[in-house]
Amino acid sequence: MIMAALILILSTGLFFFYLQAVCQKILRRQFTQEFFQSIVNANRLEFPSVRKAIEDFGSPVEYPRLTLTLKCDFLALTYLLKNAANVNQRYSYEERLLIVYFKLVFASLITRHWLKLRETPAALKLTAILEYFANVVGERVNTVRFGNLTASDYLLNL
Amino acid sequence: MNDQILIHGLQYGISILEASLCVLLASRGRWRRHKGLCLYVILLFGLDGVARAAVLHYFGFNSNQYRNFYWWTDVVLALGAFLLICAFFRRACAREERLWRLVRLMLVFVIALVVAISAFALTRHYTQLYIRFIVEFSQNLYFSCLVLNTMLFVMIQQLAIDDDELGLLVCGMGVQFAGEAAGLALYHLTLAEPFVQTIFSFLNPACTLGMLLIWTYAIVKTPQAVPVRAPVGKQPALVEAVAD
Repeated sequence: MIMAALILILSTGLFFFYLQAVCQKILRRQFTQEFFQSIVNANRLEFPSVRKAIEDFGSPVEYPRLTLTLKCDFLALTYLLKNAANVNQRYSYEERLLIVYFKLVFASLITRHWLKLRETPAALKLTAILEYFANVVGERVNTVRFGNLTASDYLLNL
Repeated sequence: MNDQILIHGLQYGISILEASLCVLLASRGRWRRHKGLCLYVILLFGLDGVARAAVLHYFGFNSNQYRNFYWWTDVVLALGAFLLICAFFRRACAREERLWRLVRLMLVFVIALVVAISAFALTRHYTQLYIRFIVEFSQNLYFSCLVLNTMLFVMIQQLAIDDDELGLLVCGMGVQFAGEAAGLALYHLTLAEPFVQTIFSFLNPACTLGMLLIWTYAIVKTPQAVPVRAPVGKQPALVEAVAD
């Protein structure tokens, strides 16, 4: 009985650990250039400034603003993922997995805040996911051309 | 009724994905690099997807023939998984011959230990010797595979092996083994309550599907290291090419 309980706890932990490792491996994907910058500028996303604040000062901005910023950027980017230069107008499997991962990390950020633990690692993970989403959108948009302009140039010149 | 439809849907999904993965590996000429993986996927497709379904259709679910065939194929698949993990270890230790010798010894020790423990368990079950041994053996082997897989993952991190594809393949195996082990432990803990039986019947195919999806992603999306001819007198280098 004890052995079965031990195996259950251990293997459940390992199951989620491996899923998290898969998400991290997907996030490590190298893009041919930094597509996310044009998307951030065009849509006035704030996650790079959150990350910069964490890297410079070691702690994120105040908690309510942090959660609101990340949530708004997430909503904007998931909308763009589905609708910007996406012929099928649906998420791919890896995007779905990362959306679930974002929600879980976001829940862990809230839990850490309640338990008064360090929020920085969770916040950094969230910005990494958002950067990946912005890169994917940027890459897609970059393949669509409007006359002589790429879509990102077009967005920047609006 | 709905449960059955969902389970059949999962089974068909697995078979389609196994066949697609075989075709993908063969069509892109990657089978040379992934011989072990290729053989395992063919084995999985042949035994789990085709042979078991055929025996089930011919003899029926409650027949002895199906039960025996199921457990024997389970042992073959467990051994296949163990050999695949050995192949992953070999790939991880490609540049560390000393470490590979050590790992090889450990792998031989693990399989000997699993046989010994399974044989020892037999002493408590004199009736049903034959079926009891193979059930015990395959369960022990699957759990050892989970432990070995975790050791391999830690080793990849510790040695900082820059092989994302191998990392993803190992994660895929981990999801499959950990999910199955958790399901089996829950099954034993709750003494096979009906709701756990339902969860268990979904969990195994869902984990296999998850593993195959992660493997497909690993094969299709991760960049491949290709050797480039070096100038005379210099070591050939590996460069990364983005997978199409």
